Amino acid sequence: MPPSRVAVMRMPDFSDPSAHRSFLREVKEFMDSSRQARLVVDLSTAGQIGPESVDLLLECVDQAERSDGEVSVAGASPETEVILELTQATSVLNMFPSVLEAANGSQPQAA
Amino acid sequence: MEMGALVVTAGGDVTSTAAGSSLWAPAWPVLGETVLERWIKMVQGLGVGLVSVVDRAEHQANRVHTMIEWAREGVERILLIVLGSYAEIDLGDLVRFHYEGQHQVTRVFDQEGPLGISLLDRGCVLGDRERAINEPHAASSRYDFLGYVIRLSSNVSYRRLVEDALQGRCAIRPTGIQTREHVWIDQTAFVHPSVQIEAPCYIGPRARIKAGVEIRGCSSIERDCEIDLGTTLDHASILPNTYVAPGLYVRESVVNGTKLENLARGVELDLGTAGLLARIGNSQPTDPVRPVHASPDPKLPPSALNGQRS
Repeated sequence: MPPSRVAVMRMPDFSDPSAHRSFLREVKEFMDSSRQARLVVDLSTAGQIGPESVDLLLECVDQAERSDGEVSVAGASPETEVILELTQATSVLNMFPSVLEAANGSQPQAA
Repeated sequence: MEMGALVVTAGGDVTSTAAGSSLWAPAWPVLGETVLERWIKMVQGLGVGLVSVVDRAEHQANRVHTMIEWAREGVERILLIVLGSYAEIDLGDLVRFHYEGQHQVTRVFDQEGPLGISLLDRGCVLGDRERAINEPHAASSRYDFLGYVIRLSSNVSYRRLVEDALQGRCAIRPTGIQTREHVWIDQTAFVHPSVQIEAPCYIGPRARIKAGVEIRGCSSIERDCEIDLGTTLDHASILPNTYVAPGLYVRESVVNGTKLENLARGVELDLGTAGLLARIGNSQPTDPVRPVHASPDPKLPPSALNGQRS
């Protein structure tokens, strides 16, 4: 298996179920393709996320754990940060201010 | 009658879902009682038998009219409280200061400025009415207050007041039974045996705290709330008739129905559609506009009210 890789993805359009399925399939393929893969979910254009987005992020974490990988989120708005903290998703996600910092493996910001 | 008190509130309703209504309102309880109720008790403790509460939204002419009517009916002094703060003023001392200095108008200040509390003489109200009411500073004396005061202009200050009260930094004492040191739980509240409580904290009437909940960091839960399974409250205040969904971590926040303000990030969210918060039960908000007829406290010396030197 190739060494650690990083992929940056954006959240799918939740009004389109096929986009949702496709997103999860891509995540699984990516996690299976590399040891200790790091997925960065770019939330910079997402505004305020809802519970369905949190569920999807947790599904990504589930996939990552099966492959010894990890999931980070980057560019979350303050509103999204509050929702991630409220739902305790921050306990399993690394949070970064920007995609660049997430991709470079900087120190995650405090939850 | 020697003295009347007119309390002017900004109104507000704990059940209101209007935009901006999550900002502090006098109808919000602080550990079981609203600031308005606490002010009224302070005034009643002074022995004032005539107390009226009016909404700030009401036309100012009506407030002036009330004071003029009182003055015409023989009320010698009118204590005007424009409700924007909680201040532990010794009202008896204020009355003495006003009387002994033979002031027409006395305004209360703290280090930050006026507190919206004035004591007006009857003659002043009946004489130059416009000046007395609209410009009470024009011919007024200044009473400097150095005790505990907090301006209730935001949810941050509301939380500070809750924390100060729970930590004994001010005179507010929570309603309900003190079950152990610095933990107050109303007798009608249900708290599952597995709930972990870190003092100080307050749980109000008819609140339901379900299994696995953790309460810490000077958190308060007002009446008729439900905190569902496994949720953690950390430096949080939950206002009446609020449901909080299971498994959440509510930190540094004030929650009112479906609205949550995270004070650390300065973010306000409506989480009703997400199903994380809800307004529940029949709320019985304190009506901020109501007349109050109080009996003078017989324990207080009448000289504090009638202007006689003791």
